[in-house]
Amino acid sequence: MSVSHQLTRLTPVDIAILVLYFAVVIFIGFYVKGSTNTSEQFFLAGREMTAWIAGLSFVSANLGSLELMGWAGSAYQYGILATHWYWIGAIPAMLFLGIVMMPFYYISKTHSVPGYLQLRFGEGARGLSAASFAGMTILMSGVNMYAMAVVMRTVLGWNMTVSIWVGAATVGIYVMLGGLRSAIINEVLQFVLIWAGAALIPILGLIETGGWTNLKAQIATNVGSTQYTHLWSTLGHFKDNPMGINWVGIVFGLGAIISFGYWTTDFLVVQRVLSANNLRAAKMAPIIGSAFKMAVPLIVILPGLLALGLMSNGHPAYHLVPADIAKHTGEASYDQVLPLMLIRYCGPGLLGLGITALVAGFMSGMAGNVSAFSTVWTYDLYGAYVNKKATDQHYVFMGRLSTVVGMLISIATAYLVMNAASIMDYVQALFSFFIAPLFGTVILGMLWKRATNWGGFLGLLAGTGSSIGMFLYTSTGSVAHKAHALSQIALSADAQPMAENMFRALWSWLICVAVTVIVSLMTTPKTDAELNGLVYGATVIPHDGAMTIWQKPIFWAGVVSVVFIALNIIFF
Amino acid sequence: MAEGTGRGEMLSIWFFVGIMTLAYGAVLLPYGAWEWFGVHEAPTVLHQLHPTFWWGLLLTLFGAFYTLRFRPRRDDASKG
Repeated sequence: MSVSHQLTRLTPVDIAILVLYFAVVIFIGFYVKGSTNTSEQFFLAGREMTAWIAGLSFVSANLGSLELMGWAGSAYQYGILATHWYWIGAIPAMLFLGIVMMPFYYISKTHSVPGYLQLRFGEGARGLSAASFAGMTILMSGVNMYAMAVVMRTVLGWNMTVSIWVGAATVGIYVMLGGLRSAIINEVLQFVLIWAGAALIPILGLIETGGWTNLKAQIATNVGSTQYTHLWSTLGHFKDNPMGINWVGIVFGLGAIISFGYWTTDFLVVQRVLSANNLRAAKMAPIIGSAFKMAVPLIVILPGLLALGLMSNGHPAYHLVPADIAKHTGEASYDQVLPLMLIRYCGPGLLGLGITALVAGFMSGMAGNVSAFSTVWTYDLYGAYVNKKATDQHYVFMGRLSTVVGMLISIATAYLVMNAASIMDYVQALFSFFIAPLFGTVILGMLWKRATNWGGFLGLLAGTGSSIGMFLYTSTGSVAHKAHALSQIALSADAQPMAENMFRALWSWLICVAVTVIVSLMTTPKTDAELNGLVYGATVIPHDGAMTIWQKPIFWAGVVSVVFIALNIIFF
Repeated sequence: MAEGTGRGEMLSIWFFVGIMTLAYGAVLLPYGAWEWFGVHEAPTVLHQLHPTFWWGLLLTLFGAFYTLRFRPRRDDASKG
């Protein structure tokens, strides 16, 4: 934390734009408070959101610090490979959620993902997933706060403590007052703002570099390799690409496990879709979200690539370094690439809009985490184990109280994260602890009638435990031991830490599935009547009301799939 | 109908989207014009393209459309 020279300063017009944003979000909190009197209104926004609102909120809740700063930095560090986290690492899973899984979440009338596990596998699986989710979301919220404070310090020279407390207080107020409804409205606003504030960077960047073809040539000149602008052709072996990963890790670790785990079972995003006003809207929301998700690399990945390709007098215009080196040398770090590009192209006014977009992104991430935390805490921990028979009013009160307490714990976490080496590693590690095994449990629960309560619970426990065990195995001990452990987990001596995350997720998912299957086959199955509304084969799924092809979710999922495949071929 | 803000409320979520982008356009457009015509451009890369003015104009048009399209109407509140 020793180096702190600010990159720029805000003018009065920038400050006016930022203040206007804070005023509007606080106003929204007070405005919708009157519509959040029951628990269904507070925690599920009254289940009255249209597909467009739920879909934009679904994708916006994920546009936190990780997306904006981290992946722009990763694009500078690893090149276009970072796009995999937006395309194969998101789109198939979002479409699967909409078409296959959403009917079960929606018709079971569950209020949360742990709530679904309780209906399907009983209290053990619910308790385990609720406790791990509550812990994870609060840590993620703290990461968001920390990231926001770092940005405000490095870009504007603002005091980190002030940034953390102002951001937390604003989010805390609007979520406490309006619950999920307030969070969703702000997420939609933030999504628009993020585009309004950041879309100029790729536009002006491509004008400056003379288009995509020229940019690719400049990147090749700057880094001395063409590896940085290919999505798939370099993934044959760990050594052939800057990320040190192969296609198995990307396709199966990221595309099949981490992505499906996150987008289909992380309650933070699923909660937004549960707020939909009918089954068709619930199925369409993730599909609409996926279409917008495919476009996000324009404002996140492209700025990183621009920084990699821009030249000044025949040399690279930027030389960015890892955060731990930047801390000592005073150079700009990977994570600063987005603010650097913002400053390059945006003068007064536009800079304020860009900074507001960044703040909005951070706050939407925080709000997403804290609203999901308060729901899971109130329904699946407090309501399930502490006070089962309270009135609806009491649970709404508990929702508001847990929002405030959750924010305070997040603040404490933010101070804790200041000692972590890298934001990205931290978040990635968290993801694969809980998300990959949880996906194994939920998907078996939805698709396999034979899965039993004990199978679900012990599978989840074994998967989570093995994930933590592998993390400890690869992150403790001597340098030589860590390298050896990594090569064992990722099945190659050439694997880099990013590959380890992918493979750890893959193993923990396989362990979860194997244990669930074995234990289920040894225990008594549930009857079809008990599984009605929860599992394929035991449920008659109601018609979603689509009359024409234009109203059918499967048609739009097909359209998104075609665009997705085309993009992967174009940038192969 | 006032989508997203709750049954019985007057202001739609899309109205908030419109009014906020309109407000930003209303700040950026005159500021961009002052920069352009008053020759006060900040020394950013490609400032000669006057991005503040054009972006402000785009936000103004987008915001005005959404604000008008989703403006609160008297019968919204009674629909419930």
